Amino acid sequence: MNEIIEKIRAEFLQDSKAIKSLKDLEPFRVKFLGRKGLISSAFDRMGELPKEERPLFGKALNELKKELEAQYQELLNRFKRAEEKGHRLDLTLPGRKPFAGGRHPLLKVADEIKDIFRGLGFSIEDGPEIENDFYNFEALNIPKTHPARDMQDTLYITDDILLRTHTSPVQIRVMKRQKPPIQMIAPGRVYRRDTPDASHSPFFHQVEGLVVDEGITFADLKGVIQAFAHRMFGKDVKVRFRPSFFPFTEPSAEYDFSCVFCGGKGCRVCKNTGWMEISGAGMVHPNVFKAAGVDPEKYTGYAFGMGIDRIAMIKYAIDDIRIFFENDVRFLNQF
Amino acid sequence: MKVTYRWLKEFVDFKETPAELAGMLTEAGLEVEEVEPRIKPFTDVVVGYVNKAEKHPNADKLSVCEVKTDEGTYQVICGAPNVKQGQYVPFAKVGAQLPIGIKLKKAKIRGVESFGMICSKEELGLEAHSDGIWAFDKEYPLGADVYRLLEEEYQDWIFDIAITPNRGDCLSVYGIAREVAALTGNPLKPIQVKVEEASSERVEDLVKIEIHDTEGCPRYAGRIIRNVKIAPSPEWMQQKLEAVGLRPINNIVDITNYVLMELGHPLHAFDLATLSGPEIHVRASKPGERFVTLDDKERILPENTVMICDAEKAVAIGGIMGGQNSEVSDSTQNIFLESAYFKPERIATASKRLGLSTDASQRFERGTDPENVVRAIDRAAQLMVELADGEVVQGIYDVYPQPIKQNEIPLNTERINRILGTDFDKEAIRQKLLSIQLQVKGDRVIVPTFRHDLSIVEDLAEEVARLTGYSNLPAHDRATIPYDMPISEHERQMRFFREELLALGLQEIFTQSMVKKEEAFAFASEEPIKIKNPVSDDMAFMRPSLLAGMLKAVSHNLNRNNRNLRFFEIGRIFTHFDGKNIPTQPYSLAVVITGNRYLPAWNVSEQWVDFYDIKGYLETFLRKIFLDNYQIILYDKSKYMTPEETIAIQSGDELLGVGGRIHPDVCAVFDIEHPVFAFELNVDVLTKHVLFERQYQPIPKFPYSERDIALLLDEGITAADVVEFVKKNGGSLLQSVDIFDVYQGDKIPAGKRSLGLRLRYQSAERTLSDREVDKYFRQIINKTTKHFSASLRK
Repeated sequence: MNEIIEKIRAEFLQDSKAIKSLKDLEPFRVKFLGRKGLISSAFDRMGELPKEERPLFGKALNELKKELEAQYQELLNRFKRAEEKGHRLDLTLPGRKPFAGGRHPLLKVADEIKDIFRGLGFSIEDGPEIENDFYNFEALNIPKTHPARDMQDTLYITDDILLRTHTSPVQIRVMKRQKPPIQMIAPGRVYRRDTPDASHSPFFHQVEGLVVDEGITFADLKGVIQAFAHRMFGKDVKVRFRPSFFPFTEPSAEYDFSCVFCGGKGCRVCKNTGWMEISGAGMVHPNVFKAAGVDPEKYTGYAFGMGIDRIAMIKYAIDDIRIFFENDVRFLNQF
Repeated sequence: MKVTYRWLKEFVDFKETPAELAGMLTEAGLEVEEVEPRIKPFTDVVVGYVNKAEKHPNADKLSVCEVKTDEGTYQVICGAPNVKQGQYVPFAKVGAQLPIGIKLKKAKIRGVESFGMICSKEELGLEAHSDGIWAFDKEYPLGADVYRLLEEEYQDWIFDIAITPNRGDCLSVYGIAREVAALTGNPLKPIQVKVEEASSERVEDLVKIEIHDTEGCPRYAGRIIRNVKIAPSPEWMQQKLEAVGLRPINNIVDITNYVLMELGHPLHAFDLATLSGPEIHVRASKPGERFVTLDDKERILPENTVMICDAEKAVAIGGIMGGQNSEVSDSTQNIFLESAYFKPERIATASKRLGLSTDASQRFERGTDPENVVRAIDRAAQLMVELADGEVVQGIYDVYPQPIKQNEIPLNTERINRILGTDFDKEAIRQKLLSIQLQVKGDRVIVPTFRHDLSIVEDLAEEVARLTGYSNLPAHDRATIPYDMPISEHERQMRFFREELLALGLQEIFTQSMVKKEEAFAFASEEPIKIKNPVSDDMAFMRPSLLAGMLKAVSHNLNRNNRNLRFFEIGRIFTHFDGKNIPTQPYSLAVVITGNRYLPAWNVSEQWVDFYDIKGYLETFLRKIFLDNYQIILYDKSKYMTPEETIAIQSGDELLGVGGRIHPDVCAVFDIEHPVFAFELNVDVLTKHVLFERQYQPIPKFPYSERDIALLLDEGITAADVVEFVKKNGGSLLQSVDIFDVYQGDKIPAGKRSLGLRLRYQSAERTLSDREVDKYFRQIINKTTKHFSASLRK
């Protein structure tokens, strides 16, 4: 009885010395601890023993099994560790990288502008890029002979159909289909007949703003632009309004932000003025209301524009507008 | 528009410095873009006295001088012929920095040393060309700093002001002075005009003026000035004209330009001898009429251009440019001087059509002051007497059949406050309006003709705001907004699509919508939309597909060795134009990929993207946007895709888009040699079929069982046919059918293809037994092999 136990233990010890690697370990395990291994067979043969010896033998065999299992586990761990030492990962090697997408920087800034205005309660509207003369000019109080048409050189498809020169036609479209109160912005692409250079592109991007209701004043316009400036560029940015002229607003204004590069002290970017010109704004001209079917006696409203490209260029300190449209991945990957 | 600080001071006494004035004008809407000193600063030039001036021993044209300053005497070589002993001169010491960009050094000229330089006005930047040194006409203290002296006496500042198109009245020194008077609170001095009419003749007896086109020319006035002596205009006039950017020509032309700048009213001087009659007829041009302007160019006149004619021929394009046949020359003796008021719209149209913009046309098209006609002609006549010895014939021939009325605007205090958000009282508003020379009579504001831009109460609101200063107007810090504002559905949908594309790891790009002819035609199924007056041939057509711009971006990157590209874009495309109505311009969405399937790395083997990559992007995208009902069909009708590698997406009868490999011929248009794969979907159609969101499906509680089978099929049988058949006939517990392997090759007979199918069975109510699954599986395999005459691959 004890001989059997001792024999198995001795053989286990003997065989374990011959193990050289992890792969020798499995047949070794099978031989002793497998389902048909030596220990199992010993259990099977317990019936051959006299009845009274059986419990004792069973107990001893169980102890042996535990002992050998522990030793096997130790061997396994030892060889595993050895094996791992053999091919350890070089963690300094670069990882496998997935393709990572991203938003275009200009549209990222457009998203930011839209989010600011959505937060202020504005809806976001859209309109066609190919417009007709009525929406782009006539309805905005710019008749054919108006000198203001010189301010924007227009790209035409026919005499009447053109590439919109500003996002203002969306104002008219919205006022025609929706009764006040109106509080909207309309971002989008606009076109001018400009030769491309670092600061000009024949197509660029604007956000139009329009608010129409009873009791809207110039003070509301000033407040909204101020709020936008603070959210976009921080609380320290100052806003300046200057009188200007647009046929579709009266009074008209141009608004500037204090230079974000020098804090308004004057630098190369702001040409030492301390101010960055942003865009135009004003109170909606009664003729525009009339063209869009809004009663100018009852309602007042303000409108404003801003250049997305310009704001993006300020935000990321980009000095050439053309880089946005090259879509070089070495540029796009920076955002 | 350029004006100088000193010129403004002729009309208003103000104390503000140039910088202060510039700030005030900008705040008031006259944006000062630049203030430039007339005399550029220079240093170390002092008053010197010429003690001695003797001929240079080795050079005939040079003098050796001795110049005395408060610090001592210096030996100086001077090349000017007019240098003389006893002169007080500007003496530049060694080290002086001159405005023409030189720093003075000690020199040796023909063997004699020179310690400085006696300067000419040219060298001090005071005039364009000098004939000799500048000898002062006063005895200044020796050693005094010359720049300081000049600064006090001559320094001036040139203001470059951007005038908005409504403010034609500010295209003159006097007009800007009017603003300066209002802003600084000082009175505006009236212009003193006094014409001495010397001749006994009367203008009416010498010339006849008739306006046939009173719509285009409501007022035309003429004067005759006899016996003028054509000569250069005096130095002061030339300097003022040069300061504001005009080139002096001769006294007569300079006088008309001077009055143009001073009063803002364009004049034209004809050589009276060239006028047949002499008569003046103002009429509209005839179709096809030609005319040679004084810049020697023959121009075809647009119809309905206002023309100034004599008894026989046209002599000027009214309000734009005079004619070569009647211009003032060196031999001119008698002048016919024109001062007229033209209708702004007529001048604007003609100027635009002619492509000819002049100082005169810019003012007439913005609207001049009809009341300035007489003042301007008198001012010029006065100057022709003073500066050209002219004799003015008696009288002005003034044709003005229907005088232009002044605008009247009700003074509506309440409305002004309602626009501005202010609470001005009537008196405060009245004071502001008076300061810019408007008249207030009771509740009416009478607007002088020079401010014809003011016609409604909103215009008055702007004047009040401007004169208050926009910065001083209130700003609200809160608003009342209705809660129930319309939602921007379009915006919400676009965001949804964009976010799903970004989640696929794609890079958003933003490309041009104007492309060149070949690029547009490569994608157009009908004539692409053409721009009539494009910026360049490169941007002459509107893109009929996003791919036109996107492939340009691909090409740009490939040319710079950026090889692995995964791009998407959403934007408008321009497809159908009937020639009359605004073209359809649907939103489109496209994905373009090229290069390696995985980003290259040490443990990644190179594999190029192929058709199945783009199809995978397409299928995943459609799944993510919840497009449930669609069919993928084989499609060989695309103009720009490779027919063997193109599919289309259909929902019902509607084509949503196409995907596959861009045709190599199209790639060639963009200089792309690599294979490029893309899909493009019509967003406007897509949105009709997409769910955007849907309710949750419970996750199955019971496990699934899978069975694999490899079928040996004729190679003509498509995977889609087999999968569809299996799905249709596989019973209600069959959840999905996937293809896990495709094989064609030596191990199976020629003409055959092996498809490995993986069938997944699952029940929502219970765990399926192996036996049950095996049963269904056997059934469908038997059906399938029979249907397709397939065998099982062993």
